[in-house]
Amino acid sequence: MDVIAQLPLVFLGGLLGSAHCVGMCGPLALALGANQDRLRTNLGRQLLFSGGRICTYGFGGALAAYGGIWLTQRSVSFVNAQAALAVVAGVVLVALGLSTAGLLPRIVPRRFAPSSCVAASSFKALLTAPSRTSAFLAGVFTGFIPCGLVYAFLAYAASAGNVLQGWATMVAFGAGTVPLMVLVGSGGTLLSISARSKLLKIAACCVVLTGLISVARGAGHLHFAADAQPSGCPFCATTGSASANAAGRSVE
Amino acid sequence: MSTARDHAPTCDFCGLPVAAFRRTGRDEGPSEPLYCCSGCRWAASILTAEPTESYTQRILLRLGLAVFCAMNVMVFSMALWSRDIYADQLQDAGPLADALYDVFRYLAMFFSLPVLWLLGGPILAGVWHSVRRMVVTTDLLVLLGVTAAYTYSIVSVLRDTGHVYFDVGSVVLVFVTLGRWLEANGKLKTGQTLDVLAKLLPETARRVSPNGVETTDVPRDDVRVGDTLRVLAGERFAVDGQIIAGSAVVDQQVVTGESRGIEKQPGDDVYSGTLNVDGDLRIRVTAAAGDETVSRMLALVRHARRAKGDYQRLADRVAAWFVPAVFIIATAAAIWHGVSDGLEAGIFAGLAVVLIACPCALGLATPMAIWTAMGRAARGNVLFRSGRALEQLAHVSEVYFDKTGTLTQADVSVESLVVDESTDRQELLHRTAALAAGSAHALSRAVTRYAASRTVGDDLPKDPTSLQSSVFPGAVRTIPGKGIAAHGMADGEGAVYLGSRRLMDEAGLTLGDSLLHAVEAADNQQAPVALVGWDGRVRGVFTFRETIRPTAAAALVECRKLELQVAVLTGDRTQPAERLHRELNVTVFAEQLPTDKVAAIEQQRREGLRVAMVGDGINDAPALAAADVGVALDCGADLSRDSADVCLLSSDLQRLPWTVSLAKRTVRTIHQNLFWAFAYNGAGIVLAATGRLNPVWAGAAMVASSIIVVTNSLRLNRFPEPISKTEQPDTSPSPAIDQLGDEPYSPIHMPGTQSVKPPAEPQWT
Repeated sequence: MDVIAQLPLVFLGGLLGSAHCVGMCGPLALALGANQDRLRTNLGRQLLFSGGRICTYGFGGALAAYGGIWLTQRSVSFVNAQAALAVVAGVVLVALGLSTAGLLPRIVPRRFAPSSCVAASSFKALLTAPSRTSAFLAGVFTGFIPCGLVYAFLAYAASAGNVLQGWATMVAFGAGTVPLMVLVGSGGTLLSISARSKLLKIAACCVVLTGLISVARGAGHLHFAADAQPSGCPFCATTGSASANAAGRSVE
Repeated sequence: MSTARDHAPTCDFCGLPVAAFRRTGRDEGPSEPLYCCSGCRWAASILTAEPTESYTQRILLRLGLAVFCAMNVMVFSMALWSRDIYADQLQDAGPLADALYDVFRYLAMFFSLPVLWLLGGPILAGVWHSVRRMVVTTDLLVLLGVTAAYTYSIVSVLRDTGHVYFDVGSVVLVFVTLGRWLEANGKLKTGQTLDVLAKLLPETARRVSPNGVETTDVPRDDVRVGDTLRVLAGERFAVDGQIIAGSAVVDQQVVTGESRGIEKQPGDDVYSGTLNVDGDLRIRVTAAAGDETVSRMLALVRHARRAKGDYQRLADRVAAWFVPAVFIIATAAAIWHGVSDGLEAGIFAGLAVVLIACPCALGLATPMAIWTAMGRAARGNVLFRSGRALEQLAHVSEVYFDKTGTLTQADVSVESLVVDESTDRQELLHRTAALAAGSAHALSRAVTRYAASRTVGDDLPKDPTSLQSSVFPGAVRTIPGKGIAAHGMADGEGAVYLGSRRLMDEAGLTLGDSLLHAVEAADNQQAPVALVGWDGRVRGVFTFRETIRPTAAAALVECRKLELQVAVLTGDRTQPAERLHRELNVTVFAEQLPTDKVAAIEQQRREGLRVAMVGDGINDAPALAAADVGVALDCGADLSRDSADVCLLSSDLQRLPWTVSLAKRTVRTIHQNLFWAFAYNGAGIVLAATGRLNPVWAGAAMVASSIIVVTNSLRLNRFPEPISKTEQPDTSPSPAIDQLGDEPYSPIHMPGTQSVKPPAEPQWT
């Protein structure tokens, strides 16, 4: 199964999973719109903010994918790293999904302490500054805030086997988080707590599903490495042949 | 004769040396300020320019946009690298892929050029500035390397062949700027405590017009000495002054460290930054903005930051040859690798050396720790006069204490009361208490406390005013320098006197044999006395003693825990000195004249020991100056005690071991920082010069190194407060206090101690 084919699912994971993110990044989005009287201006700021986040996620995805490729290249002789990465990412996603659904003990994320470091105070300055560039950059830096869900999808991106696919994975995830974040940022808490908890449940299922598919994909590569992937776009072709090649060698 | 080193240029913001290859003799004119790095340039401009939000915003926006562009450069670069990794498998990738990769090369260039403009611009401005002054900074080398990487890559893109290194160029710029920016913020943070202090001063003051009716709000800077200001309850004093009308409780914690409020009357001094708790006061300004207490405290600490200690000098000496050495190594590595491995390898090796060897960590190691510690100390009401004092204090092995005013309090208490045979003791206490209640003199207060604890029954009203008026309907008179007297008592009897023997003589009161004996005994011990008498006879003799500070014993114990040898130097005779020795379990050198104290300290110093002297800074100034570190206790608003290297604003002796601990911790932090800086630079240069370090990693390592040094130093900000902060007897774990009987104010008996220092108030003579 190809990574690109799963992009809608990743998007859905981001969309529903953002019910989970609202707790952490929601206040930031609210702060961004705090002094904006007009809904339209605020909406623009929120979109720019989300655009900034997507840029960072995309960068992270590309970085993770490149790391995955690099790891594959280095470890090709003893294990199919890419397939293993897919399995690991899948397990992380499943664990996170189950924990979100309340079926596993909650993985407590490290709190982002705004007052503790220099970066945070500057970050706050960006958030509250009126200029559009500031709003965008606030988004760019928000993307770097530690978040379990982002890490899970980054692990998934690492298994993409191609820089652009890794980038695309995280952009799809980021795009998925846009609607809810913009909603929260511009309209306050439009969603009731019960609605959010329901959404969270569905998101959890979605994340678990993505994880399972990832595990299956990894396992599939491990077992059926000899089957070359049909070539689509040049990059997919690259990945297909490369990972197949790598997997093939590892199976041998 | 001054040497060239004396004139080594220093950064106008942080005071670090700016390494110069060659310094032309021209120092002419009020030239533009010189900074060691762009971080300092920023920090300085933030501080000096109008602190508008927009300015810091612009800097942040530059960095933010550059980070965004660099991230995109990285994405395209990684896509290009991934092709290189699989180069052997991509023969059949097709023309579409090639075209796309070409587009990526252009996109990488497109996103990397703004980074050069956004971040390279400020660095170039700084470099240009330095070059004009014939000063070479590492920024110049960084800029050279980055420009080379950019030029090489642009040529590669345009010629459609060869590698591109936009990622290296842009990420290095981001890291260099990020590192400097973090350092600049760290430096600003070291002064945070002082800013808090400065913010205590109100922006405006309420000036009273000459006719005394109208008031106008004027900026603090416009207040002049001699003006009259009105200060309402809950407001802080903007300047120093003297109360001319009204009375209030004033919270002076910021200046003296004492948390309890002090009652202030007309004639009392008030200090800027302190809080008028409950009164409507009019004050006459005695020191205007800039000269008042808080401003002087701030000026002292800021000045102290400039005075360099030994460690700082060491770092400066190293930094002076470090930059030229780095220049040589970088050039050599660039040429060597350029010749053997090609142009790009040469550029990268040189750039990596420059980045890894950026002397920021080395330069920051000491001042960051010292500045943070000074700020922390100031928050704990301890002021250092120099960084050197802080370093010296950490190495002290001997601590000498002055006794009077240092180990003992300014307040005295009654040691004994001898009553004439013909007088009833209770009656005497009753009358004396009523009389003394009207006086704020230290001896009167001691008498009042003594009487309150010794009178039988509750016929003695607790409120001094009602006590006084119930016994003496007429006014109580103060006879300056001699004592107090009340004329006519409620029961119609004659005048009552409390004061010196001279007052008794002048009032015609005779002294009986037993009382004469008591007075002579006290004189022999040089203890202060007060006599009380009426109806032609002296009726009783009060003998006073000094009291040891409640925190003294605990402070000495803590000093010993810090492995300090403690001893007391006192002008007392042997007998009271022996008592002090028994009560505090401390070595006491008795009958020490001020010159003897100096000799004792110098003797220890000749033996190679580092000595700290703790005194009140008034009568022991020579000893404080002779010691490696002079510590003045209870400085309060009086910061003019120049002989002291360290001023403890409060009278809490436990601040001393706390300060020593802080100093030790600071020096430990400096050691860690210096060790890290040397180890990191040493190892890094070897790796970089041998071509084993990519400039991107070198840049990341540089940022990490700066963060480590800054964070390690800023940890000193969280140095914990001592357990006992106030001088309340109930919070002080003094062993002597457990033995307290019925004497709540005087835990330790010290009869007959010689008073070296004149008491805070004159004795009744």
